[in-house]
Formats: sequence, C-alpha cells, structure tokens
Amino acid sequence: MEKHARVVIIGGGVVGVGTLYHLAKKGWSDVVLCERTELTAGSTWHAAGLLPLFNMSYAVGQLHKYSVDLYKSLEAETGQDVGFHVTGNLRLARTRDRMDEYKKYCGTANTIGVPFELITPSEVKDLWPLINPDGLIGALYHPDDGHIAPVDVTNAMAKGARDRGAKIYLQTQVTGLSRTPSGEWRVATNQGDIVCEHIVCATGNYSQDTSQLLGISIPSIPVQHQYIVTDVVQELKEYRESGGKELAVLRESDASYYLREERMGYILGPYEKGAPAVFADGVPATFEKDLFPGDLDRLMPHVEAAINRVPSFETAGIKDIVNGPIAYTPDGSPLLGPAWDLPNVWLNEGHSFGVTAAGGAGWQLAEWMVEGEPPIDLLAVDPRRFGDYARGPFLVAKNEEAYENVFTIHYPDEERPACRPAKTSPIHDRLDNLGAVWGQRYGWERPNWFAPEGVDPVDDWSFRRSKYFEHVGNEHNNIRENVGIIDITSFSKFRVSGQGAEAYLDSLVARRLPKNPGRIQLCHVLTKSGGVRSEFTVTRNSDGSFYLVSSGAAERFDLSFLNNHLPDDGSVQVENLTTSYATLVIAGPNSRRVLQKLTTTDLSSQSFPWLTARDIYVGLAPLRAMRVNFVGELGWELHHPIEYQRHIFEQLMDAGAQFNVGQCGMRAMDSLRIEKSYRMWGQDLTREYSILEAGLGIFVHMDKGDFTGRDALKAQLANGIPQEFVTLEVAGITDADPLGNEPLWDGEKMIGRATAGAYGHYIGKSLALGYVQTGYGTPGTKYEIEILGDRYNCTVVENSPHDPDNVRLKS
Amino acid sequence: MKIIVPVKRVIDANIKVRVKTDRSGVELNNVKMAMNPFCEIAVEESIRMKESGAAEELIVVAAGPQQSQETIRTALAMGADRGILIQTDVPLEPLAISKLLKAVIEREEPGLVVMGKQAVDNDNNQTGQMLSAMLNWSLGTFVSKIEIEDDGFQVVREVDGGLETVRLSRPSVITVDLRLNEPRYASLPNIMKARRKPIETLTPDELGVDVTPRVDVLEVNEPPSRQAGVRVANAEELIEKLTNEAKVL
Repeated sequence: MEKHARVVIIGGGVVGVGTLYHLAKKGWSDVVLCERTELTAGSTWHAAGLLPLFNMSYAVGQLHKYSVDLYKSLEAETGQDVGFHVTGNLRLARTRDRMDEYKKYCGTANTIGVPFELITPSEVKDLWPLINPDGLIGALYHPDDGHIAPVDVTNAMAKGARDRGAKIYLQTQVTGLSRTPSGEWRVATNQGDIVCEHIVCATGNYSQDTSQLLGISIPSIPVQHQYIVTDVVQELKEYRESGGKELAVLRESDASYYLREERMGYILGPYEKGAPAVFADGVPATFEKDLFPGDLDRLMPHVEAAINRVPSFETAGIKDIVNGPIAYTPDGSPLLGPAWDLPNVWLNEGHSFGVTAAGGAGWQLAEWMVEGEPPIDLLAVDPRRFGDYARGPFLVAKNEEAYENVFTIHYPDEERPACRPAKTSPIHDRLDNLGAVWGQRYGWERPNWFAPEGVDPVDDWSFRRSKYFEHVGNEHNNIRENVGIIDITSFSKFRVSGQGAEAYLDSLVARRLPKNPGRIQLCHVLTKSGGVRSEFTVTRNSDGSFYLVSSGAAERFDLSFLNNHLPDDGSVQVENLTTSYATLVIAGPNSRRVLQKLTTTDLSSQSFPWLTARDIYVGLAPLRAMRVNFVGELGWELHHPIEYQRHIFEQLMDAGAQFNVGQCGMRAMDSLRIEKSYRMWGQDLTREYSILEAGLGIFVHMDKGDFTGRDALKAQLANGIPQEFVTLEVAGITDADPLGNEPLWDGEKMIGRATAGAYGHYIGKSLALGYVQTGYGTPGTKYEIEILGDRYNCTVVENSPHDPDNVRLKS
Repeated sequence: MKIIVPVKRVIDANIKVRVKTDRSGVELNNVKMAMNPFCEIAVEESIRMKESGAAEELIVVAAGPQQSQETIRTALAMGADRGILIQTDVPLEPLAISKLLKAVIEREEPGLVVMGKQAVDNDNNQTGQMLSAMLNWSLGTFVSKIEIEDDGFQVVREVDGGLETVRLSRPSVITVDLRLNEPRYASLPNIMKARRKPIETLTPDELGVDVTPRVDVLEVNEPPSRQAGVRVANAEELIEKLTNEAKVL
C-alpha cells in the first residue's frame, strides 16, 4: 500500500465508492479507499435498491436526480450491469393533505427538472393492474426511476474509479487518525499507515466508531429497517407471463410502506413505529455482515394495509425478513460536507437512502473538495446543521423518530416531539403560560405563535392557511400598530476580539466594517462564486472588538468557519456567546414609549439612531440595546446576560401593560420580514445566488480590497447579472400562500423560483420572494406562480412593500 | 396417524458462522437464527402427508432455549398443528435429545417421526439413529422419497453410489435428505394464525431425562483459510495441472 495519497476515503459502501469515483472523475487520481472487509459489507448489501426521485428537499432532490441519471449511464461506461429496472414509481394518496404534499413537491420537482405526473385512481389501476384502488384519491407517478442492484452499482463505480487510477484496499481497517506536524493526516490501518491531505468518512453504520477516531460526535446512528421478501406470487406470475410489464415501485405513504417486484414475488418494506436505533456506542465486534431477527409485530399493521391494497400479497409465501441497520440522522437527511473543527475532514455519512443518494452525494462532495465549493445549496445536508446536543440519547430518540416519519406527511410547519424541550431560554415557562406554541430549531425551543385565551395552544399543520393563521396575523399587526416582544435567544452570538480582530474580520466579509463604536452593519461572507455563505450583524464595540449575531441554526456552521480562518499568531480570539447572552426584541410604534419608561438613556432617534447600539440599563439589568430588528419597525434588540432575562421580560411586560404589549412568535416574525422583503439567510440567501443577484449590492464594497467572491462579482458586473431578486404579490389566492420552492412561469417557460413567501397581514397581500431571470424583475411585470399545483397571477412589486422608505423604521 | 417432527433452531444457513474470540464455541449473539434446513424438509413432507389425508395431526417438537419457540412457530405457520417445547439452556447432545424425544413420543404415541438427517450446526447425524434404537422402531435414513403403505412406508434412501429402496414397518423414524421436497414459505396471515396455535412447554426434569453433557468441548477453531487459486490459461494447462500437480486424473 502506498505511503501517501491526496485523499483517503474510509468505507467501501456505495457512498464511499461513489465519492471515490467522482474524485477520480474530477482528476484526483491519487485517491485511496480503505474498506474494513469487503465492498458493500455494511448496509449497501442489504439495501432494497430503491431509487426514488421523490424528496421534499431542494438539495436532496437534486442529489437523487443526478444519481438516477448517472446510474443509467454506468453500464455503458464501465461494462458492468447495474441491474437498473426503470419501472417508474407510484406514490399513492388517500387524503387531501397527502395530495397537497405531492403538489408542494411537484413545485420543487419543476424547479429542479424532475419529470412527474399526478394521476387519478383509475390511471393507477391501469399502471398497476394488481392493485385495489379503493380509498385512493390520486397518486404521484415518476416514470423515470425504479430500482437497482446495490452491489452491482457499487462495483460499477468501483471499476470506474479504478480505471481512472483510484485504489481500493479491502480488508483494511482504519485504526487511528492523527495530524502530522506538517498539517496532513496520518491514517493508521491494519495494513500500514497512509499520510494524506484529506479524509472522507463514509462509514455508515460505523459512524460512532469513526467519531471515536476523530474525536467529534457525528450525528448519525443506524436504525433497524426490515423488509419482507416473498416467494413467487401466482397472480403476479400470470400477469407477467401474459405480457404485463414490470410493475412500478409502489409506495402507499398513508400506510408507510413500499412494495416492489422481485423475481415474480414482492419486496415489502415498511417504516414502522418502534424500530430501534442501534450501535449508539459503535458496532460490536461480533456484528459483521449480519442482520437482526425480524420483528413481525412491528410489521403487521403495514402488512395488513398492503394486503388490502395488493390482495395477492395475502397468499404470498414469506421467503425472508431482512432486518438490517441503516444509518439515520435526527432529521433524516444525510451529512454531506466538511466536519467542524477538523481541517480537511469531510463527512459523507448518515445516508438512509444511500443507494439513491450515493451518486449525487459523491458528485457534490468531489466538487466541494476539488473546486472549494459545491455548485448547489447543500445547507439542508450540511453536517454542521447540528450542534453538540446531537449525540447519544438525542440521536437515539430523534433517529427513531425520523425513521417512523419517513412516510408521514411532511408539512412545511411540522414540529416533531422527540427530545423536547432540550434548550430553553429562561422565560420559557412564562411564554408557555402566555400560550406559546413551540417549535424546535438547533435544539432550541422557540415560540412559533401564541394562542390567545380560549384557543388551544396546539399546532395545526397544513400546506395551506392553517387555523393559527388568524392569530399569527394578530401578532403581526400588533407589531405594526402597537408593540410586541419577541424572544430570539436562540440566535448565534459571537465576540471577535484581539489586536488582529479588525483585519481578520475585514478579510472575511464583502463590505467595510462599521467604522465607529456602536455602529451596526449587516455583513456577508461570500462564496467564491459570489453567493452568500454567512450573514452577520456586526457591531463595533468601544474596545475595538466586534459583536456578531447570526442565525440560530448557523451556530456550528459559522463558529467553525470563524475558527478555521483565525490567524496562527494568536492575535484574534473568537468567543461563542450564544448561551451566555439572551435576546429579547421590543418592536412596534409604541416600543420607544415602553422602553423609555425603563431606562434613563435617551431613546430618541437623535440620541439613539437606527443601526446603532448602546450599552444601557433596563431596570437592574445591564444590556446592549441595538436599534435594529428583523420585522421592520421601530424597535430594539436587547442583548443581555442570560441571567437577567426574566427581570427584563417582567419589566417590559409591566411597562408595556398600558399599551397592551403583546408577544410575537417566529411565524409572525417571518411574515413581518417578508412584508419588508428582508432576505433570510439559508432560505433566500444561499450559495446558489450571488449577493448581487440577491439585490444586496449596497452591502458590498468592491473597492475595499480583496475578499472571497470579489472576482465572481466583478465578472457579473462586467457581463451582466444573470438573475434578480423579486418581491411578488400573488393575486386570487384565498386559502394558501407561497412558502418557497414555487416555480415562476412566463407561459410555459420557467423563469425562476420563489424562495420564501407568506401572507402580508398588514398590507393584506399574499407575497412571495424569489429569483427570476434578469429582465423579469421590473415592478409591474406580471407572470404566474405555481402554488400547490395551481397557477396564480403574480406581479412584481417594489422591494419592501411595507414602508419602502423605512420611515417607520427610522422614526 | 399422528406425526411428530422434531425441529432444531440453528444459525441461519446463509450466515457466515464465526468462532467466539475465547474459542469456547461459535458466536450466537446478534446472529440471525432459523430452522435447520433439513427440518424444514421434514415439516414440509409431513404437511403434505396431512394434506393428502394420510395423517391427522402434526406435532412439532423442539428442545433448547426459550427462543426455540420461534422455530416451532415457523413450522406452525407452514401448517403444523401444535408444538411442544422442551425448554433448557443446557447445551444438548444427540443422546440427550434422543432421550427427550423418546419421552415425548411415549406420551403422544405417533405412528411416524419425520426429522432432518442432521442439523447444519454440528452435523452430528446421530439423533434419528439413536432415537430409533431407543424406541426399537424401524429406521430409514437419508430419505429422498416416501410412499405411505397400509402397514408401513416404502422409502428411497440416498446411499453412496446410488439409491436404495427400503420398506419400513410402522411405527417408524424417517430422517430426510435434501432432495425429498422443496419446503414452502408461510404466508403472513398463516404466520399470524400460527401465533394462536398451542405450544406446550416442558422441561427435561418433567420428562425425567438427565441432559447433562457427556462431551467436553476443549476448543473451537476456524477451519484453515483456503489458499488462493491460480488462473490457468486454457483447458490443456488445466488437464496438465490436474494430472501432474494435483494427480487426480
């Protein structure tokens, strides 16, 4: 075995081999894969081989699409048959909400170019003659996917990789990972050591063993998944022998199972309740290429549903129950991208649909490693979307929850119950008593909305306007007309200090830093292609340090970035204040009147203008008041030592009593910001759109000197900016609103996609934010937006339909 | 006629068997278990006899740990009527199993015992022979065909060099070989129905049988791993090597 390689990939399942193949294809031939035993021996070998294009996620959907296209071409390329049966796949619907889910998905599918059809129960029967269509209201049909032989597709990619010079070492177990003094990695194996630049972990079921080697906790452990393989089914045999073509892979989402043909019989795989997570402490040495005993009790409810739907299943002999470990993550999406705190360590872990994802995941990771960034927005699968809470019992409970929810309806406002509450702000019980209906992000409990007296504090998820619509509207309008409090303690907060702080921070962001102490500016870290990597609200402190605020979900994503770019000389320190500082927002036209009662600091605009921060006292509490907010009204963010939160909250409530101060949850905050066309990091601002396309050119100083993304922006300025950001008013819709990922149509031409949307309760309009081809962004331009399968007229409106001149903000 | 089919729970035949690190035996933790394939053939044959009307009741008997119940359930799902579990955690040797079966057979008084010729875990190939001797019943081993006659059974045995046809007088012990039939798979509704079929649990004590092992296992080792082969260019070279190196031609 060689002593040195550019990349060592750990794990020879379909995911590891897919990565090897794509790195070799990108021209990195000096790549080595170490496999503990044999290729596919982890979970690839017992995968059911399904290739569903369907995925609600914009990112994962693109990975799956790429895989399906790639696998179709592999045989021609490598000469290895991959057993791809293009049977199509059929997802059944029994309820209107399920159809809404499919229609929502169809919007995403259109934006990424996946072909599909929505069909009727009688068309289902035509496609799948052995079905009993009772109770169906329709189905989603993908004609282009099907199933594949997982071992064969792995071998085909292995051949493609070897043909390009990549090496695969079997029976080669990685026993240690360490840094060399020169900053490379030493991979110790039972066959000798290899020194390399990059490590890719594609260890699936072995993620916790890998965690031990790396010294970080990879948020993935497997869950048992079982499927039933039947003997020959007489009815199926007769159908096929009389010329019937192979049946499409069937998914009855409302009964949580998939069913496909296998050798004139069926494979039935359910996602059951109560399937246990396994290997939380690593894989026992006694478990090799093994399976667990089948658990019939878990299977039976799904089997009964399947027998009802496919009557010939009843008499089918059960040849085998395959119950094997499949990697899962707390949200069911894989971990694809860099690890945190460890340079040049990449994760391609946590794949529950590894066979479907492997091609696309390998492609994106190879792009990322070779080019420095992936072409598509991968935040939804970024390993740093979880924090240090995502380990041990959290993984067990959340992964089991993710497993049993594979086929539940994925409402856009869904909140799952496991591991709640984990992180709470100090006023959690107070807000609870005020009717808070909670959601969880990054482990934090956040009020989504508040149920007024007489209304059950229970969520009601929907793709359309939900029962809470009215109450969110009241919170929204109370901010616009009066005054409200928002708890945004979950936001990430950092202090950057030290002699080199200014130069360091300046080198990262696309604009000049605030010049004067107390001055606040929105600053963006860009990608090489000019997209938005991170967004920070930066305040210059009087001691020359900087206070940074970013999205709550970006804590690890941003912190690891800040840490990775620190100069070696120790001249800069980055401190994570997320859990030592809490934040309350008071906003609305009456906010000054409330807050002024509590402080001796003059809050007038003359003394305390917009976009400035001051250290003040509110009652007994010393805090940093920042005249900035995400709802677009007069207001202050109060950043305070977390131990003062109750005190500050009670003061605000007492002082606000005469104004009937209200609470405001995250859903109203979202509709408020959309009325102001405020772009949300991670949703409207991603690496896929340059900051110029996002219309945020005023936050870029091209003349400040070099910064990441500047060359790409220069080129766009010279050659034209391909897309532009728009705010759209949607006409004629009464029971739903855009939510993001809706296609925008000019006749039959798709000209862009919405990235967010909401009802603007104050201005009384249904609104969308999105990107369109340049030329479609002029206010007054009309086209169509596709919402839940229907097209609506929409009109481009001026940026910030509410208070476009920021008069109220600055009042 | 009543038929008794003894069945054994073994490591699934598709699973690679591993020796425990302390060499005290083979690893059973986390390992998929199944009915011994020869027992499946015995169950299938008995069900066919029942389906043809030649037998009235089919009783499956397993001896071993509590989980052996799953193996009985598999047979019940295929079509057996009831089960008897002789529960013990003591490792059982063929002699002990034969004694346990003899005790059950004396209670149930079947006309026929159909069982696998051997179990794929230890490959002893002893229990059927010992059982027939203890019962003083006729015996047919390695059977690939059974015909029921009025007073006995005509069976075809697979012996070295050919087939032997033997007539057995009733009652008999028949041990079955691979080519007798192809066992069915149970359907899920039958698997669920099997859960309501009765299984009686007994212990060796209740049957008055001492099952103390008489063999000490000193050490279990993996067989030596096979040497890599060589690739030959053509048939002539193959013949040459078989003649001169392997000396088998």
